[in-house]
Amino acid sequence: MDKVKNQKIQKQVERWDLFARLTPTLFLATSLILVVFDVVPLEYAFYIGLTGFTITAVSWWWWAIFTIRYLISILSRASTNLIDVNNEIKIVKKELEDLKDER
Amino acid sequence: MKDKTYRLVKAATNIISGLSMTTLIVLGVSYIGFNNAFVFNNSGIAVTNNPVTGGQINFILEGSRRHECILTKVHSDAFDDATGERFALDFARKVYIRSDDYLGSDTGEVDHQWGVPTPDNMYPGLYRVTLYSEFECVYLLFKKTKIQTFDNISLIVK
Repeated sequence: MDKVKNQKIQKQVERWDLFARLTPTLFLATSLILVVFDVVPLEYAFYIGLTGFTITAVSWWWWAIFTIRYLISILSRASTNLIDVNNEIKIVKKELEDLKDER
Repeated sequence: MKDKTYRLVKAATNIISGLSMTTLIVLGVSYIGFNNAFVFNNSGIAVTNNPVTGGQINFILEGSRRHECILTKVHSDAFDDATGERFALDFARKVYIRSDDYLGSDTGEVDHQWGVPTPDNMYPGLYRVTLYSEFECVYLLFKKTKIQTFDNISLIVK
């Protein structure tokens, strides 16, 4: 379950990365061409950009919050499991030492 | 794609994307600044030859202009302070006294003086003048029609 979710997050990160690398350049180039050739008024391009920026910022913010929460839960589970393993190793070590002493 | 080529492409797209984002932010902020800016800042209009005795009312406009703007429409009315009666000032017959750039597009400090004929049917008294002006302003890629109105310009006719 965790593995599937981890892969899903990894894919989402890759998609965000691609989106961040392509969108600003594509938007700038497209809007410049459309504005220069008078296809779209500058005001429209500005508001489209502002809307896109807002939607991206809000989506990223919530995605980041959920992802961080998930990562923290994984980290905390991993750390609990490590503590358990550490405690078990201590018990096994003690038992081995006791056996040694008995001999 | 080879690892080195992939890295190069990734680095290049990162740089281009960063520059595009910076350009978009700078253009966006400039557009908001241009959109919200007044044509004239810290400006005022006054009648310089109060009380008006002759056939001409002289005005002065002082202030500063940040963007290049061209005057496209102007209209001015004088309202009798007591009765509210309206007298249109004829801007088609205006004469420039000090500057010939009121219609022009110079930025920086503005000091314009012009005169308009006193309306024939105007009688002695105190008037409040309003001036409505429309400008076509340009800045970088941006272009916008802006309106600036000046109210409560005191005019005394003798």
